[in-house]
Amino acid sequence: MTKFIQLVVVGVSIGSAFGLVGIGMVLIFRTTSIVNFAQGAFAVLGGLFMVSLVDDVHGLVAGTVAVILTALIGGVMGMVAVGFRNRTTALASLIITLGLALLVSSLNLLAFGDRPHTYPTIFERAWNIGGVFVQPQYAILVGVTLVAAFGLTVGLQRTIAGQALVACADSRRAAELVGINVRAVAVIAFAVSAGLSALGWVLLTPVDPVNYDSDVRIAVNGFAAAAFGGLVSIRLALVGGLALGILQQLVVGYAPGQARQYELAAALVVLLVLIGYRSRHEAHE
Amino acid sequence: MSAARRLSLIRLALTLAFGAFAIWLPFRLDAGDRSLYTLMGLYAIVAVGLSLLMGFAGQISLGQGAFFALGAYTTGILIVGLDPDERLIDPGAGISPLLAVVLAPFFTAGVAAVIGVPLLRLRGHYLAFASLALHLILLAVLFAEDRFTGGQDPGLLVIERLEVFGRTVTGATLTAVVWGVLLVTLLLALNLVGSRAGRALRAIATSERTAAAAGVNVATYKLRLFVLAAGLAGLSGAFYVFLLQFLSPDAFPLFLSIQFVVMVAVGGLGSIYGAVLGAVAITWLENRLRDLGAQPELLGFELPDQAPQVFSIGVFAVILIVVILFFPRGLLPGIGELWRRVQARRPGSASVGSDPGRGLTP
Repeated sequence: MTKFIQLVVVGVSIGSAFGLVGIGMVLIFRTTSIVNFAQGAFAVLGGLFMVSLVDDVHGLVAGTVAVILTALIGGVMGMVAVGFRNRTTALASLIITLGLALLVSSLNLLAFGDRPHTYPTIFERAWNIGGVFVQPQYAILVGVTLVAAFGLTVGLQRTIAGQALVACADSRRAAELVGINVRAVAVIAFAVSAGLSALGWVLLTPVDPVNYDSDVRIAVNGFAAAAFGGLVSIRLALVGGLALGILQQLVVGYAPGQARQYELAAALVVLLVLIGYRSRHEAHE
Repeated sequence: MSAARRLSLIRLALTLAFGAFAIWLPFRLDAGDRSLYTLMGLYAIVAVGLSLLMGFAGQISLGQGAFFALGAYTTGILIVGLDPDERLIDPGAGISPLLAVVLAPFFTAGVAAVIGVPLLRLRGHYLAFASLALHLILLAVLFAEDRFTGGQDPGLLVIERLEVFGRTVTGATLTAVVWGVLLVTLLLALNLVGSRAGRALRAIATSERTAAAAGVNVATYKLRLFVLAAGLAGLSGAFYVFLLQFLSPDAFPLFLSIQFVVMVAVGGLGSIYGAVLGAVAITWLENRLRDLGAQPELLGFELPDQAPQVFSIGVFAVILIVVILFFPRGLLPGIGELWRRVQARRPGSASVGSDPGRGLTP
């Protein structure tokens, strides 16, 4: 039982980070109708910036700098990804974000090399709760995720600015007619969700080391989390992320022998089944 | 004889002439160049299928590499006849290479049909991610189920040669066969686009709603294109076995799937000739970049060990971004359109009909 609880604890923390990535995808999709493949690249950038800064400055400073840097890069990517009016469709934007993710991963490979990076956790000791070890960092990650999910839900639904952001996805033309700058909206949405994803791996890297090509795994998990809520529900994206994180940990912990390698595959099969289920209900999306 | 008909006959004659040249060429190449040339032909077969899917169904598959791998492994396992209990080759269970090559694409297409049914009812990004997921799942299976696939070590060694009517197909003959298969694929694809089904596809490419209103079953056509594209990738993968003779999951990285998308983006979405040109160009470029990155230094800079990978990933990323931003229907059609615009400015010139594919334009 202790083992099970331990796995669930780790799963919840990893799942929170997946949830943050998924929430970022939902935010970008709801505001620009772009599905952002580069969402995983943001997470990797956050983790790698953190790793390279944390030895020299205080962890809090390093984390803040990593998140802000990634958010800036994310904003620039948003500006590119949104493309041109009447020429760039949402699917074309998806390919552009795929290109951007590849570009980031090639630069990461050049700068950081081909091996996983991690850093020792900032906190010296873990809490021992009845034999289950809980890193304080996990708790922070879960807390941050909940606050971000709540804040964004309220922000999008209850504020004028949030409604303006959401309006862009419904019709780019209509939004521009009432004076909303769609490119600026994309920049904001990408920057915020880049920051969120980066924050996830700033905190998670000690348990989940990042390599230059980790972005694909993270992006696919994030998409799977977001797909739980049809790419529009922040709450369900969070639930999806947690479910995926726990599922993957249980596969790692309990699957016999070779089957352990199905950690990611298990999540992907869930994704496929989920999409199959959705297609029955929303065939004419 | 109408002008349009004459034009299409001239086009057919030129295609056949180029095809004959392409099939003859391997007998004049040395072994190193021939291997690259074979790869170009194999990738072109995949690219033709993907171009039809992206151009006419407006769907992106990020998993063509998975179907390519599935075709290769199906062929390899059928030929070798693995014994799952012993992790050993079971010669009694193997079938003839020719039969394996024929069966593999059908199996691949069948897999695509099963997963395509739910996916193609949804918007494009679901297929993009699901096909990517499929590639990742397949890689995990290839690594983990080494009783069947040989895994990474020892891998799957396929020493049997392809045999057709008692003649062994190796070396230059294999390359010629691959390009022959490509020529047949090309002609069938051109025929498809020109047929009744092609008109329906073009209607879908212009507007799905209008096509549906005119009685075209949009979902079925999309599914058929997806299955066709997967089948072509499987066919290409089946021949790849005889070029490589050794299968390991490392031969089918995720990047391969993305490379196919780059080929189509360069050649033009929905353009069949463009797909072949894109495949040839990108395969050549990848090879050049690999050589360039393998040098100890470039322009006075010392190159790190991972330079070949950095170069190819980085360069293809930039190609993808620039092409989709500025030429959403593909690089070659985009350049063609620019050329026509320049021509149209001259007095007394008539504009020529444009490419049928809609690409990713609205």
